[in-house]
Amino acid sequence: MKENKVLTQRVGKYKPLDLKAYQAMGGFKGLRRALSMTVESVIEEIRRSGLTGRGGAGFPTGLKWASAAQDKQGPKYFICNADEGELGTFKDKVLLDGDPWAVLEGMLIAACAIGAEQAYIYIKGEYDKTAELWEKLAGEAEKANLLGDGILGSGFSVNLQVVRGRGPYVAGEEFALISSLEACRAMSRLKPPYPTEKGLFGRPTVVNNVETIANVPMILANGIEKYLSLGVEGEPGTRLFSLSGDVKRPGVYELEMGAGTLEELINEFGQGTKNGRPVKAVQPGGGTSALLSRDSLGCRLTAKAISEAGSGIGTAGVIVYEEGKSAIDIVKGLMEFYGVESCGRCAPCRIGVVRMKEIVDNLSCGKGTAKGLTQLREIGKVCVATATCGMGQAFPLPVLSALELFGEDFEMAVQESSV
Amino acid sequence: MKGFKVQSYQNLLESVGSVKRENLFGFLGKVQDTFGYVPREVVCDLAARTGISEARIYGALTSYRDFKVEAEASG
Repeated sequence: MKENKVLTQRVGKYKPLDLKAYQAMGGFKGLRRALSMTVESVIEEIRRSGLTGRGGAGFPTGLKWASAAQDKQGPKYFICNADEGELGTFKDKVLLDGDPWAVLEGMLIAACAIGAEQAYIYIKGEYDKTAELWEKLAGEAEKANLLGDGILGSGFSVNLQVVRGRGPYVAGEEFALISSLEACRAMSRLKPPYPTEKGLFGRPTVVNNVETIANVPMILANGIEKYLSLGVEGEPGTRLFSLSGDVKRPGVYELEMGAGTLEELINEFGQGTKNGRPVKAVQPGGGTSALLSRDSLGCRLTAKAISEAGSGIGTAGVIVYEEGKSAIDIVKGLMEFYGVESCGRCAPCRIGVVRMKEIVDNLSCGKGTAKGLTQLREIGKVCVATATCGMGQAFPLPVLSALELFGEDFEMAVQESSV
Repeated sequence: MKGFKVQSYQNLLESVGSVKRENLFGFLGKVQDTFGYVPREVVCDLAARTGISEARIYGALTSYRDFKVEAEASG
């Protein structure tokens, strides 16, 4: 299995603010081509390319754009979601710092295609140096007539605001992000209406992940056929896998969809587990994805194969846990994080996350009960079925899957408690 | 040493042109980064400029971990 650097081909090859170097490497070819086409055909190309969202939900990008483009009157907004908050996910930072012009180019194409004159990039609060870089980048882009009125001499105008997130994890969820930009509390909302109908300030809004948007320039510059030749049927392109946890060499690796298996990723790129013990469990799609056991390591790296194995590719943040720790320790770490991050918008998540954290804490300190295990399952299922946003629907998944795969760890904790 | 100065606040206002609801969140961030907190006077002023009530702005600010509404005690 080999890395196929398509999105990351320019990372480290030029100084981030050096626009000339980016152009010398073929930069802005995609934008120039897009500006020469009708907006409908740009959206159609993105739709036919089969590009899906890389932020976790995997929604088809072309459909999102088409939906927002329908409204022809009044302001519209484009937001690049750089609030990379999911546990075990750090791929967007590589693009934001290493190839920011490509991200900007993609944003401009998207904004022009949907008819948005105001674009935002919402950068995670912890990435303060990245936000500084982007402030400077926006200045450079204005000088080069890439932002402002009539970009590159076309009839399109796009303004960019670089905004830093201020802490909450849930602000990475699209509606919470929109609320945050409205200077309200970062809270999710009921859908529908979707952001593409009623988003920022009640206007059609497209929110795209950084990695998603970085795919756009290359699709337009090189054509759909070239893009479709990467990856597998139904899942074209590459993905940036953030590999972390108990591996020797964590990092971001760009692989073609379906290029290999989880096991190959862990052994060839991660150089095996940290202490050489066998793998106990893997989360293939960030901290809210269901655990997979060792038996699923042969699973191919495609969204389809991973979901058939019982989890989801999510943000492609692969977290590895090796033998030697109890499943309770694994979920305890996760629940400590999610336990304080619920926005409080809906009852299942607001209450459920705290109760589940309590039960897991009790189990880990010798106060577990059999009734607690039943409650853990029930609360988890209710959250998954009824929570408003992706966070509430997903945070119980690792716990529920751990109960299923590593039931003996939990039973043992209960038995040890009652002695 | 951070600390609120009316002059620096006015410079900040000038640097962004005007504060509207479209850029309020980003501007509050700039205030936070400049002074280390978002002073009461600023919340009042921005409420008047944007037409969003002081209570709404204050309520939002206090829900974010990285926004402070009081100056940190100097040690």
